[in-house]
Amino acid sequence: MHSKASLALALGIMGVSGYAVIAAWAWPWKASLFPLVIGIPVFVLSTADALWVLLGRGAQATERGEIKDFQIAQDVPERVALGRTANATGWIAGFFAAIVLLGFPIAVPLFVFLYLKLEGREGWIFSAVFTAVVWVFFYGLFDRLLHLPFPQGWVASWLGF
Amino acid sequence: MRFILGLLASLVAAPALAQYYAGKTVTIIVGYKTGGGYDATARVLARHLPKHIPGKPTVIVQNMPGANSIIAANHVYSVAKPDGLTIATFNRNLPIAQLTRVDGVKFDMTKFAWIGSAASECTILAIRTDLPYKTFEDLRKSKQQIVIGATGPGANTYDFPLLLKEFLGVNIKIVSGYQSSADIMLAVERKEVDGRAGSFTSIRPFIDRNLVRPLLRARATEPGVENLPIDEDLAPNARARSIMALRSAPEIVGRPYVMHPNTSAEHLKTMRDAFAAAIKDPELVAESKKARMDLEFVDGDFAVKVMREVLSQPKDVVDEFSKYVKFGE
Amino acid sequence: MIEALFEGLFLVLQWKPLAFMALGIVLGFWVGLLPGLGGATTLALMLPFVYAMQPVEAFAFLLGMHSVAATTGDITSVLFGVPGEAASAATILDGHAMAKKGEAGRALGAALTSSLVGAIVGAFALAIAIPMVRPLVLTFGSPELFMLAIVGIAFIASLSAPGPRGMLRGFLAGGLGLLCATVGQDPQAGIARYTFDILYLWQGLDLVAVLVGIFAIPEIIDLAIRRTSIAGALPAGRISKGAWEGVKDTFRHFWLTIRCSLIGTFIGIMPGMGGAVAQWMAYGHATQSARTAEERKGFGAGDVRGVLGPGAANNSKEGGSLIPTIAFGVPGSTAMAILLGGFFLLGLVPGPDMLTKHLPVTFSMVWTIVIANIVTVLACFLLLDHLAKLTTVRGTVLIPAILVLVFIGSFTSNHHYGDILVTLVFGGIGYLMVIGGWPRAPFVLGLVLGKIAENYLYISVARYEAAWLTRPVVLILFAIAVAVILYPLLQRRKPAHA
Repeated sequence: MHSKASLALALGIMGVSGYAVIAAWAWPWKASLFPLVIGIPVFVLSTADALWVLLGRGAQATERGEIKDFQIAQDVPERVALGRTANATGWIAGFFAAIVLLGFPIAVPLFVFLYLKLEGREGWIFSAVFTAVVWVFFYGLFDRLLHLPFPQGWVASWLGF
Repeated sequence: MRFILGLLASLVAAPALAQYYAGKTVTIIVGYKTGGGYDATARVLARHLPKHIPGKPTVIVQNMPGANSIIAANHVYSVAKPDGLTIATFNRNLPIAQLTRVDGVKFDMTKFAWIGSAASECTILAIRTDLPYKTFEDLRKSKQQIVIGATGPGANTYDFPLLLKEFLGVNIKIVSGYQSSADIMLAVERKEVDGRAGSFTSIRPFIDRNLVRPLLRARATEPGVENLPIDEDLAPNARARSIMALRSAPEIVGRPYVMHPNTSAEHLKTMRDAFAAAIKDPELVAESKKARMDLEFVDGDFAVKVMREVLSQPKDVVDEFSKYVKFGE
Repeated sequence: MIEALFEGLFLVLQWKPLAFMALGIVLGFWVGLLPGLGGATTLALMLPFVYAMQPVEAFAFLLGMHSVAATTGDITSVLFGVPGEAASAATILDGHAMAKKGEAGRALGAALTSSLVGAIVGAFALAIAIPMVRPLVLTFGSPELFMLAIVGIAFIASLSAPGPRGMLRGFLAGGLGLLCATVGQDPQAGIARYTFDILYLWQGLDLVAVLVGIFAIPEIIDLAIRRTSIAGALPAGRISKGAWEGVKDTFRHFWLTIRCSLIGTFIGIMPGMGGAVAQWMAYGHATQSARTAEERKGFGAGDVRGVLGPGAANNSKEGGSLIPTIAFGVPGSTAMAILLGGFFLLGLVPGPDMLTKHLPVTFSMVWTIVIANIVTVLACFLLLDHLAKLTTVRGTVLIPAILVLVFIGSFTSNHHYGDILVTLVFGGIGYLMVIGGWPRAPFVLGLVLGKIAENYLYISVARYEAAWLTRPVVLILFAIAVAVILYPLLQRRKPAHA
């Protein structure tokens, strides 16, 4: 897990810095100097790191250069963890889609309620009340008090509202 | 006869309009984040407009920053509803963006329903008082280099001195990259730079404090600097003059306020009248004086005329203009 | 000057300013807590009501609100791992780690107390610096500010993992941050860099959206995996008792707290450094206080010093950043720009006058910061129990609430869905970094300092060509930067020599 993520990051940074350098080449020097000065070393070193990961073998955490920034749950078996991660990602992506399609005012209570019921297996009453509280708070504060209205979703626009 | 019919029509329309606006919310979309000049102007107007719109609707301000307000302009041009309830205010240099064919521009400045402008922007060049140049001629003749600080291409802090350097032969080195015009003033105090260009309103406190002295201005003027020489008048040839005029044309429409192109004539007129009345409102005048804002209503028809002038420049002028002036702030 | 000091105090201790300050505190409490509300947005919204007030009342209100937000932002960082304010992100690293170990009370106690100490130091510094402030700020020109940014970037070394590999990854994370900072229109040639023809990217990547993504999303995923409350399976009783421990910690590491407060104040004074930098430099400095390599590894896993440093710095910078605003009219952040607007509204002109003719008003602002922070910290301690108990709430109930806050938070800065996408993308990157053991702090440092470093470098070169390299303050700062880079290397050698 650790080394796969590391590899993904190293390759990702290689890609980003490589692109950054190529794109910057075409610009006048004033705009390109900084991106090049940063981008070229980053590209070289990320390539080195990627190779290190690919060619290295199961080293200690310190040798792998890891930091204890925080540890994502260690005590859950890896497969289960991955499964739950995918699940969580799905919910997050779904929430975003709901916001874009239906607009914040509808997506927020919908998401909260569905998550509580389906993932949390909370009772109907609790879910309903909690959703209502969240919605009132969000609507009352942002729309009424601060006058920060949220745009309606795409679906509403398609339906001609 | 037409007069009487018109009068009758407006008498009938007034209560209908009041009914339309009553209880509704008018939104002014500002193409910048909170805290800037456009935002402050919009908020002052938002506070005083309701009294002057029949039906006294609520007026709120919504910030939609992005791409130097191209996003806000695009939004009100096509996405917002043409119901007379959405107004946009944005970067006065957007006609330049349209003229120089900036990618992403999805509007046509001449097609907006123009309410008008709430102020004109007077750009001046000011340099440190402890330098020996008392007038612009002194500066031009001296041939000594002065350093002018700027924020970036597209802002008047950068473009104004650039044209002075290119066409009027003043020995200027432009040092750009300051985070804001206030940072440039700090650099002036530090003697890192010798002066800056920018709006008279924002430089005025420093003139009053005797830190800097104004030398030159662009066409649009404000009380206090009318006697300064104008850059266009000193242009060596017609081409140079038209380029300088092109740069400064949008400044007369300094705080543009528009609505969706398909807004009804009735709603547009209501808004124009409301803005004109609000800007003359003594309470607003007192408030804006305190905030050091000088508001003055310029009618929408005049604004459209200026837009048309800017956008109908011949290709060779536009090409040369684009060499110097890029769209930015 | 002493009389002005007391005059300022008496100006504040009237019932009207106090009432407005109380109102500001209540509002600021929520503004700091919720990632959706930036201090800037609410300041602007409150500005109209400021009209009816006298200067002292208005500033009591505005400053009361603003200085409190810096304290309560730490609360959401500790409890949920979500930065309530961009300036509170560094507190997440150790603060939230402590919450997960069941030490939420201790972390909160430490955060609150160090915030108070920081606020007082910052206000005090503002008060005594006033006679010296103008020459100080005037000495720091663009070359000096560039070097200061380099010192900040040098802290990347301290924030990386031990060993050559660790430094490499810290450098890569920092480099990525610096590259991300270049997105947008550049102020030299006006070219839209790395925008892929997307209008939204012209302004660059929004800091709040990135921070919320890179810190909050991995936390949410962690909660989802563990299926427990934030504090895990630990008994609830222990949690709130720790608050007093946290207070004691602040005094156990008193000099560290003071040093970090001074770092925060100093960065706050420097115009143009921005509000998010101070906390990271303080955090970097706090990690340097680890005496052995083992101790050093504890940072990020819940070392209280990692809470004290940023907690102090993000409050002390408030006092510091008032200085360029009041003395020069140069606002250090959007919030200060709005405060400046308030100045003009009330007929005050920032500049030398504020330090002479209107000195009592300036001092009243200092006192406001002190009093507002004392009141807030006391109120928070009263609520601490309940706040800490939130870490025992089921994860499945917290997740939707946090997600809603996260999404609203990133959307409301620019009113654009693009910000939410940015949050999600950096959420993914943050997740990978956590799994892979890459440090996130250097990335944030790079992102925050990139534009500043680039702009000041250009200005320095354009204005002075090569001459700026030999200016005295520049050389001193360069030496400091080198010291900052070498320190962790020497630190790690210690066990071998001991």
